[in-house]
Parts: sequence; structure tokens; C-alpha cells
Amino acid sequence: MAKAFEPAVITANDLVEGTAVFLTPEGWSADVSKAMVALTPEQAEEFDALGQRHVQENVVVEPYRVVVLLDSGKPVPKLRREQIRAAGAPTFAYGKAA
Amino acid sequence: MYRYDEFDHKFVAERAAEFRDQVRRRLAGHLTEAEFKPLRLMNGLYLQLHAYMLRVAIPYGTLGSRQMRQLAMIAEKWDRGYGHFTTRQNIQFNWPKLKDVPDIIDALAEVEMHAIQTSGNCIRNTTSDPFSAVAPEEVEDPRITAELIRQWSSLHPEFTFLGRKFKIAVTGSEEDRTALKLHDIGVQVVKRDGEVGYRVMVGGGMGRTPMIAKELRDFVPRQELLPYLEAALRVYNLHGRRDNKYKARIKILVHELGIDAYREQVEAEFASMDREAIAAPAEEVERIRAYFQPPKLSERASESPLIERMKSADPSFAKWIERNTFPHKIPGYVAATVSLKPIGGAPGDATAEQMRVIADLAEIYSRDEMRVTHEQNIVLPHVAIDDLYRLYKGLSGIGLDAPNKGLVTDIIACPGLDYCALATARSIPVAQRIAERFADNDRQAAIGPLQIKISGCINACGHHHVGHIGILGLDKAGVESYQITLGGDATETAALGERTGPGFSYDEVPEVIETIIDTYLDLREHPRETFLQAYRRTGMAPFKEALYAAA
Amino acid sequence: MRLLDRTGEIDDLWPAVTDELPLAGRALVPFAMLDEALKSGLELGVDVPNTIDPAKLTRYFGRLAMISVDFPGFADGRGFSIGRKLRAEGFLGRLRASGPVISDQFTYLLQCGFDEVALPDDVAARQPIEDWIAQLGLITSGYQRGIDGRGSILDQRWSGR
Repeated sequence: MAKAFEPAVITANDLVEGTAVFLTPEGWSADVSKAMVALTPEQAEEFDALGQRHVQENVVVEPYRVVVLLDSGKPVPKLRREQIRAAGAPTFAYGKAA
Repeated sequence: MYRYDEFDHKFVAERAAEFRDQVRRRLAGHLTEAEFKPLRLMNGLYLQLHAYMLRVAIPYGTLGSRQMRQLAMIAEKWDRGYGHFTTRQNIQFNWPKLKDVPDIIDALAEVEMHAIQTSGNCIRNTTSDPFSAVAPEEVEDPRITAELIRQWSSLHPEFTFLGRKFKIAVTGSEEDRTALKLHDIGVQVVKRDGEVGYRVMVGGGMGRTPMIAKELRDFVPRQELLPYLEAALRVYNLHGRRDNKYKARIKILVHELGIDAYREQVEAEFASMDREAIAAPAEEVERIRAYFQPPKLSERASESPLIERMKSADPSFAKWIERNTFPHKIPGYVAATVSLKPIGGAPGDATAEQMRVIADLAEIYSRDEMRVTHEQNIVLPHVAIDDLYRLYKGLSGIGLDAPNKGLVTDIIACPGLDYCALATARSIPVAQRIAERFADNDRQAAIGPLQIKISGCINACGHHHVGHIGILGLDKAGVESYQITLGGDATETAALGERTGPGFSYDEVPEVIETIIDTYLDLREHPRETFLQAYRRTGMAPFKEALYAAA
Repeated sequence: MRLLDRTGEIDDLWPAVTDELPLAGRALVPFAMLDEALKSGLELGVDVPNTIDPAKLTRYFGRLAMISVDFPGFADGRGFSIGRKLRAEGFLGRLRASGPVISDQFTYLLQCGFDEVALPDDVAARQPIEDWIAQLGLITSGYQRGIDGRGSILDQRWSGR
């Protein structure tokens, strides 16, 4: 049986800055809650293609899909790895003298 | 310490300019990401979970104060004010921007540093003993050889696109502090009939198929080392597997061919070479040696009445001396370990401020010299015993006085899921929770020498295979799960840890470690029987029983 | 295909032959055809995969004016060792690296004994000739000894002292 489609957003890293970014209607943003959510496989493919185009145009690198849950309509990554990535920082206080 | 001459300066400056141009061509679209990636990796630049990450080489772990201050400057100017010292004697900056990296590389070159080949499928930073020129029993300062290998391996035209990464370590002592047998090639300086040469080990490594290195040659004469390495690398480059990334390391080639067949091929290659044309001229070795003249330390009394008084007055200082100092070949001196493992900190992290203070202290008390250890600590190699209290007070002012070297809270941990794109589970927060549970210094001292090593994925950057207690974080259907191994050893008596059984959840790990340690404390025959000794005596059974029987 | 050497773009003088041998002139043949081609009076080059044992070519050196080593991908560096080994064994003819290598590897290729690079069109289109030529001036010296066409820093340090 084919795995049921789960809503997803497209993420990548900004080529110049390196930061994790998400595909939104206004381009790429560090804020996952603004990301466009693909609700069907067709939509996801369409977003994949958009991501690939921005790779060709040297805007972002290594785009991939991130499965999300919807929290009052806003996408939240399902997996811990993607939650950490979307938060833009480690899960502990970093860079501080103990 | 080695100093660049005009040739080294020019080489590194040209390499920096080359990288600047590569970045330009990447941004202009001449290079695709697929093409740029190996080039940036060979200049130490990764793309990680959150951002780019720049790994800077600290060749054989030796660092001067001026260099450490420059690292602090880089951390503040182009990063987020800190750096992470790694198990291969490098430092990583976690947040640089691609457009700034050429400037960072230039800033490194100003202080005779670089990021050349700190990643990529090439010969990596050559590592060495943090107690070089300190350890009483060493045959010779291994950094002479490590520097020779650093130069030879830098942009080697034949070996820059290998099947996989290639790590070399060099030690000058029988007692191994470099994890020599876990390297693709391990070089041990030895003496035979009065002649200094090398014992060469090959095919060690961690990752998903951990292996202990085997002896390739018991003695390679000094002047033949580079041709011999060249022969060993050529056989690997031509015959190592390239069909599967996980089978492309030399350990797999050696394993599949067998050490004898591999050796035969290397010897045939070696015999056919124009060895003299490849070898370093003797005067070049002598030139390098001159930089590693031991510092002129005048012998002092090995008992210091001042220090004895301070030890009685300040028990934490007494504990620190007990744990964090190492005997020096010159009487009256020690090597002092600055622990980068404060309770609750991220193992191996140092802030720019801490780097500057360590640099200042090294300048005053350690002949301007520091060493980075594969345990992710910093060593000040040449400290007069009389100066220890002042050094200690300097360290305690910035939270770097943990008296835990080699103890349960001196944990090696990879960056894990919090930073790394490859990780499958968190490792730093696991280390922090374990350290918090064992924070009490007296309890740590009572447990004795115990190395915990944590990796956040199968690639084993946290050396879990050779931890006395190893912890491997995996992803089981979206949930972090931690496998425990016992009995690993990274030293000359190298051994791979054995799995206890099914893994544990993130929340269970500190309790599991406590159970293992309590089991050890119960079964040890006397307080000086270490965890590793006890484990070797009893085997896995009592630990397994304690961990799983109740369930 | 675009062919270049350290002077820039050059003409390909070696027609690749995979079935019928020409009556005269030059032919670049696959290794499997080499024994047959040797019976002709042609000026010969041979095209070899990077899995070949370079020692297998030694006995042909006297009859070979050119060897073309395949680089199936730029990251597959076996060809570098093959080039060096062929030179060490005494091959004096033209040595070609054929495949999607990148300009950043140009000096390494030359130092491993290669004379020229044959690039697929798509790679050539993205990497202007200027990038290749500029590469030659980027890293002007190296530490290794016994490398083709380049003195070693290890020797330069002692020359003139």
C-alpha cells in the first residue's frame, strides 16, 4: 500500500547566508510558519520544481520536503530534526560561558 | 613551535586566493553546488543543519597564543562568539556566512593557520599526542613527523580526490593518546638498534564498520616515510572501493584483501618507486626539527612548598592538581589540562572570552603554547609547578577549572542533532544531563577513570565505539533511541565496545549510566580497579543483568 | 567535446575509432581493440577506463603515442594515480584526461603527468577557458617531491643557500 501523503513544506539553505529557509509565497523565509503547505502530491511536486528552479538560479541549495502538522493552519515540522532546524538554533543555551 | 617561512606563507595565501575565486565562481554559476561542494569541503566548509560550518585545522593540535586570540576574534567578528574544539584537534565555527568565509580564511593565514583538507575525500589534518615534548617516555617529538606529513599531504596532486576521507595520526610514545589504532594510518615513532624510524599501522577507523588498525610494517626508516605513505595511498586510491560510500575507507580494502595481500601490493609499489625523488631531504627534516626544540626549562624542585600550602587551603585546587596535571619530562614542571567540560556546558565549546583568557595564561605560564586534545580539552604543556595556583585561579575566573580530566563528566560528544545535518539523535544535551547527575567532584573522583563517548549517529564522530561507556544515538521511527556499549578503549590496548542490548530512550540515559556505574562500584575488587579493568575481568553479564533483568 | 591544454583550447588530432580502423593516419582506440590495431601501421592512441592496472600498458609504450584515461566523474580520482604511474613507468607520449573534470583539478592533472583534458560539452559550456587558464597561476608551488613539471618547496628552500 502506498504511504498516505502527509502535508509538507519545502526547505533549503540560503546559498550566501547558509541559513535554513522555507519556501513561501513571497520567496524564501527563515520562518516556517509562513511556508506554503503542499496538501496534495501534485502540489508538493510543483513546489519541488520551484525549489529546483531556485537552485538553478543560485538562490538556495539542497532543497527537500519537510513533513508538517498543521497548528491552527500554520505548518509545524513533524520530526524533531526539522523542529530544531526550523527553530534555527540548538535545543540548549549555546555559546555561553558555563 | 613550527613557524611558516616565505614558502609556507605564499602557499597558504595562494590557497586562500584560490578559495575566494571558487566562491566567486560558485556565486556566478560557473560551478554547480555538486562541483563546489568537494571544493568547499576541502577548505573546511560544510553546510550543516542550521548554517555553514567552518572547520579550521590545528595541525597536530599545537596552538600559540596569537593564534588562539585570532580564533577568538573570528568567533566574535564572523560567528556567534564561540567555537567548538573537535576530536581531531580542529576547531569548528557554527555560523559563518559563505560570503565571509574568504575573509575568515585570510584572517587565519595572517596567523599561519588554514582550513585546508579539514573535510573532503582527501588526507585530513594530521593529529598527534597532546603531550608531545612533555611525556617522559617519548622517543622523539612526533610533531616533527606530523609537520612533515602536513606539508606532504597538503594539496597532494594525486591524493586530493580519494574514495573517502583519510586520517593520519602520529605518536612518539608507546602509551597512546592519539587513538592511533582508530586511524586510516597510524604512525608511531620507534627506535630500532638506535635508529629512529616508524611503525606503520593501517586500516583502523570508527563509523558504521569500526575496526582496529593492523600493523603494515614494523619499521620504516625515517627517510623512507613519505614514499612509503605514498605507496600505501596509491594502492588505496587505485583499488579502494568507490561503489559504496560506506565501504570506501581503506579499512574495508584492508579487510577485504587481508592485511598480507594489501601489504604485498604496497611493498611492490614501494619497491618500484623512485623513493629518493619522493623522500624529504634530510636537511628538511632537520629544519623542521629545529622548530620543535624543547623549550629551555630550567630544572626546578618538584616539590613546591607554596603549592602544598595552597592545596591544603583550597581543596578544590588540590582536586584539580590531582586530576588535571600530567608529569613533565623536566622536573618541576607539569602539563595542565584545561577542561572544556564544565558541568552543564557543551563539551569542547569555548567562548571568545575563554579563548583569550586561555591564550593569556598560556603566554604567561606555558611558553606561549597550547595543545588541543582529541578528548576536546586544551593542554598547557609547560607549566612550572610553582605557577599552578595562579594558573588555576585564572581558569576558575572563567569557569574552566573543572577537576574532571578523564573522569565520568569529561565526556566526548559530537555536535549531534542540534547542529549536524547527518545526526539522528541529540548528543550534547545527553552529555549535559549525565554531567549534571555526576556533578559532585568527590563522587567523580571515587568512581575514578571513566570515559563516556557519545555519537549522535552511526558515523561515530563522538568515538562511542572506544568509550569505556559508549552511547550511540539513533532514530527509531522518529524517536531518539540510545544504544550503549561497554569496554571500548582508544589507547594502545585498543578495543571496540560491546553492546549491552536494546537501546534506551533519551530520558532514560542518565539513569542507565548510573546503573552501569553503580554495578561497577559494587563489583570492583578494590578502589583502584578501574571501570575498564573491572569490565575486562567480569565481562558483560553483570551489567546486562543490572540493566535488563528488572524489566 | 572540447579539448584543452595549458595553452588554451586545442584541436583534437585523435579521431576516436570504435569499429573500423582507418587505412592511415591516427586512431584513438579502446583498450579492447588495441591488439588488433597494433597490426596496422597507424599512429595509435588508446582509451582506457580508470579501473585498468596501469602496469598492463607498459609493454605497449613503444607503440603508443597517446593514452586517454577516462574520468567517469570529477570526484573519482583514480586517474590521478594512473597518470603518475604511467609517467613513473616511462610513458613519454601524450596523456589525456577524458571526462567531466573541473578546472580546479587542472594543475593536479598536469602535475600527475597529463597534458590535455577532453571535456564533455555541458561541462565545457559552464566552465569558460579563462577559468582553466587562471587556475595555472593560482597555486604556484607545492610540497610534494617527484611531481611532474614542478619543483618542490622542499627543494626550493635549499636552493641558493
